[in-house]
Amino acid sequence: MNVITASNSQSGTPGLIRRLGKALSTPFDPEDYLALFDPLQSAREIRARVIGVQRESDQAVTLTLQPNRLWKGHRAGQHVLLGVEIEGVRHQRCFSLSSAPGGAPTISVKRQGRGGVSDHLVNRCREGDLLTLAEPAGEFVLPDPVPERLLMVTAGSGITPVHSIVKSLLASNFDGKVTWVHFERRYRDLMLSDSLAQLRRDPRLDLRLVLSGDSPRDGDQAGRLDEHWLTDNIADAAARTVFTCGPAGFLDTVMDWHGEHGRAPLFHERFKAAPVVAGEGGRLYFSRTGGQAEAAAGVSLLEAAEQAGLKPKHGCRMGICHTCKCKVSKGRVRDLQSGKSRELNGQEVRICVHAAEGDVELDL
Amino acid sequence: MNAKVDHFDPIVFERPGVTLTRSQVDAFGREIDALREEIMADLGEQDARYIRRLVRTQKGMELAGRGLLFLGVLPPAWLAGTALLSVSKILENMEIGHNVMHAQWDWLGDPALDSSTYDWDNTCPAEQWKHSHNYMHHTFTNVVGKDRDVGYGIMRMSEEQRWNPAYLFQPAYNWVLASLFQWGVAFHDLEVERVLKGEKSFAEYRAQRRKIMKKVRKQVGKDYLLFPLLAGPFAPWVLAGNATANLTRNLWSYLIIFCGHFTEHAEMFSEAEIENETRGQWYLRQLLGSSNLEGGPLFHIMSGNLSHQIEHHLFPDMPSNRYKQVAPKVREIAERYGLHYNSGRLSRQFGTVLKRINRLALPSRRKPKNATV
Ligand code: FES
Repeated sequence: MNVITASNSQSGTPGLIRRLGKALSTPFDPEDYLALFDPLQSAREIRARVIGVQRESDQAVTLTLQPNRLWKGHRAGQHVLLGVEIEGVRHQRCFSLSSAPGGAPTISVKRQGRGGVSDHLVNRCREGDLLTLAEPAGEFVLPDPVPERLLMVTAGSGITPVHSIVKSLLASNFDGKVTWVHFERRYRDLMLSDSLAQLRRDPRLDLRLVLSGDSPRDGDQAGRLDEHWLTDNIADAAARTVFTCGPAGFLDTVMDWHGEHGRAPLFHERFKAAPVVAGEGGRLYFSRTGGQAEAAAGVSLLEAAEQAGLKPKHGCRMGICHTCKCKVSKGRVRDLQSGKSRELNGQEVRICVHAAEGDVELDL
Repeated sequence: MNAKVDHFDPIVFERPGVTLTRSQVDAFGREIDALREEIMADLGEQDARYIRRLVRTQKGMELAGRGLLFLGVLPPAWLAGTALLSVSKILENMEIGHNVMHAQWDWLGDPALDSSTYDWDNTCPAEQWKHSHNYMHHTFTNVVGKDRDVGYGIMRMSEEQRWNPAYLFQPAYNWVLASLFQWGVAFHDLEVERVLKGEKSFAEYRAQRRKIMKKVRKQVGKDYLLFPLLAGPFAPWVLAGNATANLTRNLWSYLIIFCGHFTEHAEMFSEAEIENETRGQWYLRQLLGSSNLEGGPLFHIMSGNLSHQIEHHLFPDMPSNRYKQVAPKVREIAERYGLHYNSGRLSRQFGTVLKRINRLALPSRRKPKNATV
């Protein structure tokens, strides 16, 4: 399998010069000074400049990015945690990369209408803006060797990682067949349509568009996915290796179908994490030590963890020293001082003055 | 005491000139809390722009200063370079580093300004600083025997500290401490006196010292070795410029910091007084133990906004650019509760600090009421 990753090594900077630069700029990095002239420079995070904004519709954009040298490329199908500054504050959200590995990475984003990162990118992102990227991640990638017969089943923004996979596959010397069914409500919701039109010309790809809200044009179909659709419409669907991505209900249908009929592996990518249960007090999951504990309402995460036998580091126990800060990978917490509750996704909180509101996963 | 004792609302705070009941202290605490919430909820783009612009300015000044020092044979270049480097070091340590490490800017979500990863241009390693300063000093502010910033283990800054003859020399070695302030700060957290008393293990002391020495080597290597070497024949000028900048930063930060808690009316507390302290009482101690300096906007920035020491101690993790805005409100609340809001110009405040240092060099005449052993 030819996993195509961009190689962007640091070999341009000889080790000695780098070490001297580091010694001269200690305790900072040379990049902290270079950033005065080129804001892409950073030693601690991947920064990327938006070098292209393509409107997919009034609801979606594809952004082409130029990352700094810390970017080591991605594998087709992977996603990346993208950070953008909104009113001074960095907000982060995961997006699948829609580009094939190798060139400038792209992400395709649909407006969600909730004022978050996606909406900001669709409404306000301009060429020249700076974003940050984490290392690409995810196992929604082609196995090695690539199966001969592939079936892609996508809906809505689920198109993005599969677009990356199919594009890189067709760019390689793959000599099998890939069938890709994409479900969409209306034509104007369809992202990456220009690229799809190009990919469609490749005889190795059988791309079918299924619409539920518009009357289909040349060759496209009308309909929506149900438990029979794949068996009825795709020859020996059950024997193909399936890649699927889309909204939760859609994914469930595909996976139920596969559970019943599928004879080859299925790979899936779920966009939204299962909703966290909110409530007063809750269950703590300690991701580092693997334990769990019940936290009563109004009891700080620190106390709850201590009751569970852990010894998180702390100082003042009253919210002023920030020694106890700990990452919450997922969950809702209440600030015991202000009474405000908020949802966390990988941010740090002072566990001495925050309590659980439902399930909370802590880096302890 | 004139009021009759109310068993449902006992007096919980008593200091010369003020007595406050439990409900008064709680109400005071709630007012200060509300002030904090109001500002924290309002943070946004303006604040982000402030700190980012400041960081750029500071880094720019540092580059310019170091560049000019390479031409240090020319006296104007040496003077300008040294001045720029001094100011940039002061800004980095005080308005940027100190405040970033207090987590004032964590809400930005920017790893370059995050309290858990930031390290400052100072011989004291960030991690130890955060322990001795953010935790020990800010939690136990002015509690004699707990807050090691009361005299840093070498000076007698409170009547409650027991006198010994070595303190006779403190008016002199005070100036040595001032010139070597960053070194004092770096080695302060080693708590040598506690090791000698056997309260702290030698192993812990050694591990800590190793970390300090590692940072010291890097800091010294940069300012006193690499930059001078890079300047070739002009090494002496670069070396002198760097040393002067470090000295200036030391003197300035000493001056500001000593004015924070050792002025005439800054109050000291005993360990007994902080038993079962409520949040309201903690706020009271912060207010009465700290003193402000008055001056223009530039002075506030150059002092890292520690000129608003009172506000900084009430709200250690509030972005420092907001202290100016809360100060009048804090003052108004303090006055309403009959509490002294200690504020004055630098010259006056520092004068009272020197007076304290001189006075306490001599044994106290009266027996302190809660002397610590
Ligand atoms: S322990 Fe000090 S902020 Fe939590």
